[in-house]
Amino acid sequence: MGRIALTGTASFLGARLLRRLAETKGPEKLLVVDVAPPPAALDVRHRAVDLTEPAADQRLLDVFREEQVETVLHFAFYTGPRRDAAHAHELESIGTLAVLAAGAAAGVGRVVMRSFTAVYGARGQNPAFLTEDRALQPEPALAWARDKLEAEQHAASFARRYPDLKVAVLRFAPLVGPRVHTFYTRILDRRVVPVLMGYDPLVQMLHPDDALAAAEAAVERSVAGAFNVVPSRPIPLLTALHLAGKIPVPVPHLIAYPLADLMWSAGVGEAPGRFCDYVRFPFVADGERARRELGFTPRHASRDALLAYLGYRHPHARLRAAQAST
Amino acid sequence: MSSRAKVVPLRPRRGASASPEGAPAAEAGRRDGLLVAVARALEAGRHGLTWENVAALWSAAYFSWHSEEVDDFGRDPKFTEAIRPLLEFLYTVWWRVEPAGVENVPAEGPALVVANHSGVLPWDGIMISLALRHEHPARRECRMLALDMFALLPFLAPALARTGAVRASQENGERLLRQGELVGVFPEGVKGVGKRYRDRYKLARFGRGGFVRLALRTGAPIVPCAVVGAEEIHPVLAKADWVGRPFGLPYLPITPSFPLLGPLGVVPLPTKWSIDFADPVPTASYGPEAADDPILVNRLSEQVRSIVQRMIDGRLARRRSVWFG
Repeated sequence: MGRIALTGTASFLGARLLRRLAETKGPEKLLVVDVAPPPAALDVRHRAVDLTEPAADQRLLDVFREEQVETVLHFAFYTGPRRDAAHAHELESIGTLAVLAAGAAAGVGRVVMRSFTAVYGARGQNPAFLTEDRALQPEPALAWARDKLEAEQHAASFARRYPDLKVAVLRFAPLVGPRVHTFYTRILDRRVVPVLMGYDPLVQMLHPDDALAAAEAAVERSVAGAFNVVPSRPIPLLTALHLAGKIPVPVPHLIAYPLADLMWSAGVGEAPGRFCDYVRFPFVADGERARRELGFTPRHASRDALLAYLGYRHPHARLRAAQAST
Repeated sequence: MSSRAKVVPLRPRRGASASPEGAPAAEAGRRDGLLVAVARALEAGRHGLTWENVAALWSAAYFSWHSEEVDDFGRDPKFTEAIRPLLEFLYTVWWRVEPAGVENVPAEGPALVVANHSGVLPWDGIMISLALRHEHPARRECRMLALDMFALLPFLAPALARTGAVRASQENGERLLRQGELVGVFPEGVKGVGKRYRDRYKLARFGRGGFVRLALRTGAPIVPCAVVGAEEIHPVLAKADWVGRPFGLPYLPITPSFPLLGPLGVVPLPTKWSIDFADPVPTASYGPEAADDPILVNRLSEQVRSIVQRMIDGRLARRRSVWFG
């Protein structure tokens, strides 16, 4: 039996998956392929490979061959937009290409890749539930989404060209829950949250426990193709913000896009202007295929994930509110 | 839920209501009612003006008329209840809606209500679903499929979604029907809702038969429905489309009161309405693959259209006054 190689083990989901697999499979079955070493306590083999360097595919091929890797779990992606877009592009698009090329050349049986429901693109015309066969049409001007789209295209093209290579792509909804610190939760940490005036899309928030369960199911079952990993129920954005006790400030979208761009380029904003699409239009995905083929049923709705995050972030919220009023 | 009123202490003792270290998620989700939040804020006065209290007040106000959870398509039961009095007023007093033949709508299972569209704003859809809730023995909830121009319009779109409307598309319609829901559509689309006063009650083309394909694929019966009265609520004299285009509107109507009277122009005229439902047209016998037969689709579409037109003509012939029926 070959090893399971993991990339992106410094990411939230990658780190949790590594810990879980170390428990269930045993550390000797695992191999971390990452720039940063895994926690020493896990006692997992580590081979340092930088996915952004030009000869990464050759290095990966050697590592995969030497360590007899059978399955690659590719989780090296950024959840939020990066200022260094060139680096993100090298890691996500070109890095995925290297992983797939090395995997195919080394005769690795399976690649499980992390992706995002945001790759569908947020649009007013989206159906209430996006299925996996929907064309991926993210906003072309948004580098963050474009890199993910390219990674998906590489995966699809390798799956087509190498019938022996099983490529499973997991499109996760935005993660919100205990210990998650992403672009989305940073916005939830503010008191006043700007929203787009007149828009209130349904959003999905995925509990990390559900995300982990789906990733594990994908490792266990030898499946191929794309799978949406989503919570059991979406929640309107404004309802979520009010549940979190935020004060939403409506901003007209004609002002919001250039303002966000201005702040992003000034170095104070959270995301470029085009990211506003994701709080303006829905990109709610359908989890039916994962239920059928992965046997994954989410245990948490979006609301549960949000409340779990708030409970983790503000354990004393009610205490403070009570004290303030006395 | 207990019917007894719960006593909520206005001034919780320090530490008494404090949850232990790492409050569970359920604790964060529990909140006070609006009155309690207001009372707390008043009692606390100036010293209570903290972020937490303002946010608590804000969210208590929001959840006094919004639910904490919505269904898969965004329908919000509490919001629907909150605006019901206004809609009831329009239904019983303003337009005195007179429904007929509601028993033709199946008591259970999927069905597609197909109606003529008119009235500039989607009031007709709201009144049809109200009529079914009021008069149908099974109190059926009808989910209207909204045109893009409404389903994508800022402010209106979120409100429509919360009342149960869904953006019109094959995927959404099919999903609703497969869930066994009653679905309402307006195949005339923009051509119907924005038609001029002089074209009133002349049905426009029924799209390209998308609603028939939807019914064939799911085997749902089609219930033709005719709304009379809605075509006069905003008499469109002319259309200034070039003004609306830059704002993403497919048309901008000019009525006797709009834009002349400004916001008052949005108040619809109090005409007398009737809503007629005809016998269902069954589609299950054709089988789902019949959806790919364009001749059959067009024939069924034409059949439904002529039933609706006949019902409208019948009503118009009997009607003596636009205002009193």
